[in-house]
Amino acid sequence: MSALLIVFAAAILVLFLGINKPESAMKWPSVILLMLAGLVALSGVDLATWLTVPESMISYSSMDRLFVALLCGIGALVIAVFDALSSKGSDRLGLMMLSLTGAVMLVGQENLVMMFLGIEVMSIPLYVLAGSDKQNIFSNEAAIKYFLLGAFSTAILLLGSAFLYGATGTLVLQSMTHKASMYAHFGVYPPMLVAGLVLLAVGLLFKVSAVPFHFWAPDVYEGSPTRSTAFMATIVKIAGFSALLRVTMAFEPMSLWYQNAVAILAILSIIVGNMMGLVQSSPKRMLAYSSIAHAGYMLLVLLLVGQAQFEADSILYLYLVAYSIASTGAFAWIEWATQRSGKMDFTMFNGLSSNRWAIVNMVIVFLSLAGIPLTAGFAGKYYLFASAFSIHPLAVGFALLGTLLSIAYYFRAFRFAFADTQESTPNAKFSWVLMLVSVAILLVGCAPMWFMP
Amino acid sequence: MELILIPLLSAALAYGAGQQLNRSLAFALSLVPGLVALALGVHSIDVPWFSDDIRLALNPSGWSNLMLLLTNFLVPVIVLAGWREGEKFSLQVALTLFMQAALNGVFMAQDGLTFYIFWELALIPIYFLALLFSEGDRFAVTLKFFLYTFLGSLTMLASLMYLYSLTSVGDDGHHSFAYSALQAVELSTTEGFWVGLGLFLAFAVKIPLMPFHAWQSDTYTQAPAGATMLLSGIMLKMGLYGLFVWFVALAPESLHYMLVEDLFDFRDLIMVMGLAGLLYGAFIAMRQSDAKRLIAFSSLSHVGLIAMAMLTMKSDGVNGAVLQMWVHGVNAVGLFLVVDLIERRLGHRDLEQMGGFAKSSPFFAATALIIVLGTVAVPLTNGFPGEFLMLKAVFNTGTGYCGVLAALTIIFCAVYMLRFFQLAFMGPEKGSLSSLEWNEKLALLIIGAAVLYTGVQPQIILDMVQSNTDSWLNAIAESGGILS
Repeated sequence: MSALLIVFAAAILVLFLGINKPESAMKWPSVILLMLAGLVALSGVDLATWLTVPESMISYSSMDRLFVALLCGIGALVIAVFDALSSKGSDRLGLMMLSLTGAVMLVGQENLVMMFLGIEVMSIPLYVLAGSDKQNIFSNEAAIKYFLLGAFSTAILLLGSAFLYGATGTLVLQSMTHKASMYAHFGVYPPMLVAGLVLLAVGLLFKVSAVPFHFWAPDVYEGSPTRSTAFMATIVKIAGFSALLRVTMAFEPMSLWYQNAVAILAILSIIVGNMMGLVQSSPKRMLAYSSIAHAGYMLLVLLLVGQAQFEADSILYLYLVAYSIASTGAFAWIEWATQRSGKMDFTMFNGLSSNRWAIVNMVIVFLSLAGIPLTAGFAGKYYLFASAFSIHPLAVGFALLGTLLSIAYYFRAFRFAFADTQESTPNAKFSWVLMLVSVAILLVGCAPMWFMP
Repeated sequence: MELILIPLLSAALAYGAGQQLNRSLAFALSLVPGLVALALGVHSIDVPWFSDDIRLALNPSGWSNLMLLLTNFLVPVIVLAGWREGEKFSLQVALTLFMQAALNGVFMAQDGLTFYIFWELALIPIYFLALLFSEGDRFAVTLKFFLYTFLGSLTMLASLMYLYSLTSVGDDGHHSFAYSALQAVELSTTEGFWVGLGLFLAFAVKIPLMPFHAWQSDTYTQAPAGATMLLSGIMLKMGLYGLFVWFVALAPESLHYMLVEDLFDFRDLIMVMGLAGLLYGAFIAMRQSDAKRLIAFSSLSHVGLIAMAMLTMKSDGVNGAVLQMWVHGVNAVGLFLVVDLIERRLGHRDLEQMGGFAKSSPFFAATALIIVLGTVAVPLTNGFPGEFLMLKAVFNTGTGYCGVLAALTIIFCAVYMLRFFQLAFMGPEKGSLSSLEWNEKLALLIIGAAVLYTGVQPQIILDMVQSNTDSWLNAIAESGGILS
């Protein structure tokens, strides 16, 4: 709860204090504030004892606090690793932190009303961020696309909540579990419950860009400024999957009913994401499809819900840690390479290997996305696949196959980076934060137990 | 553990040194792990890694001691002479040392996941070595190589995970990835076949056995000499070692799986694969004019026999096969070195345009001859004892024609190896080679000495592996009862 307040206060502060200051002035203060919020969440200190919030609305278990810390940490990382963009005002930083507020709410929600609030608070600043490169027509396209589709999906989610309320008579997730187990016991599912659950799932799956609700992702990811894309690809995934997991846990008694549907969605996301990733000519678009594929892998976590021997939430947490650190790194690389070369396709990576330390970092980031051992990506994938293997071997088979395919496109970046080119390579400033990213990736990869709650 | 940490550290040092790294320094760095291990012994380790039941367990024994010897003996030779000194020398050395760490890990692993992790890790440096320094269409070739081997690795992972889920649950309520636990799992023949197939694919691609060899000749030929030496000298042994220790020992049941009722089981299929590779490699090698390609196919031919001998499940055959793994490693590195030394001086490796080098460089010709004779398996060279034991076992198993066909390859081998030597070193002089550098001479001497010493004293190595062979055969006999 305290972390939520800190992030919110920081957002307002940055928004107003930085209204006519260049972003570079507000960049590090925002990073520090977010780190602070993350630390508060980790430690579990309650700074606002005077504030009582009903448990049935929002509450943070120790696991949720880890997710909050992850959100704050990744938010800080995204702000830190990208260069300041605007010299006129820091409104974009403020918007990012506002969106983060929504994400933190979403992680703690216990109630469909809070879920709706969280999603809206998270999404609305994102629509603005997607279009924040006003002169760029693609950025405008991304904003419009994201806004229209996002608004529809939220409406669908709202409709689903209404149906669920009608079917169960409550908005509190915990109480819904009782109703669900009652229905499951008799094996009868009222159409209203089913419809409500499906609609709710559609809204959430849209946010995490799982197939078949993924069509917005490539265009929006490609058109938005890269920093916004990195923010969307990480923060929204973390919050979205945390919410999905919570809803799944609430309806766990009906697991037999939804299990196969989840597996099919996961397999579809893995296939579509990886197959389409193979044929992209723009690295940003490739990462968009890769994020769809990752959404597919993470959907496998939902299969673990209700299996006593697996801790679905900590498995999801580790995967998200690995995915979001590496994704931020990869987007930062694309931004760096674009600035250096002015290109948008894979040739942006040409000749990057001339910077001997930078290239090590890039290799680590992409190996982690591909899930090669001793990187964080492998640790995340291993726990996930090994646990899901005993429940749904077929889906894990597809996931392994998807991993194989994904190597073909992740490694394309190396192909260009190590190509012999005569192109002049002006050495753009290389961010030391990116070095921290690779250290973090290796640390999580070598000692995953330290990061497994 | 030191066999992994020291090379990793050395790799970082070598990379950090950049242009300052010279040949002798690199050689010294690569020697350290082996010397430390010889002086202090190899320390085993067993600590929780991914969870309490998935452990970082490294413990060398029997066969793996031999493989560790091979790795830490050949890597210094490769560092010494495999890489040409140039702008990227430090990167090449760093990747080679990284590879050394991963290979040492593979050979010591006593836990399924530890094995998998090091197995995959070994793929990364070799991928980059091939990607960065190959000739021709390097991206397509290296990607093909990587995807081929990675596919095998994934099927292996799936099999290991399946075995893991069947291991008995310990006191703490968890399954175990420990090698002994995986080995203790009893499988039905059909189940064993699928598990075994997953494991087998990983190793068959890496070795490579016959239908999985499509990546090999291109990668071997186009990769730089150092990478080819690593691939054929050590990485190939990784596949064979896996076949022995992680395929046959974990899923012996699969060998009995009948592919054709009452006629042809999985074991026969692997035997046929070995035999096919053995003959195919030999025939292609006889027709090659590209010296490197010739050696690549001769390698395909030799490993076929090793796989066959292993599956005879006879003490002699298995001993011979393990011995031959060491021998083949030394010889393959020696042969690729010889070819590369010629190529460095001529700028090509077309056998038709070579000849008479023995006149201008007698030392080179003499050492090359020793290595060639070792490959041909002339008595008193290292090839002989292994080939003899293996052929004896193959003769005594099943029908005799397998043995006859396998023995024919000794003749084929003599044909293509001696043809190679003759075209390159004998005959009318077609140009002369500039004299060898100190490091090249030293590398040839080391290899030549190893060839002769093993040829005269094979017993040292046979003693080293005997107890492991016995326990391996016993374990298989207990779980599968297939001692024929």
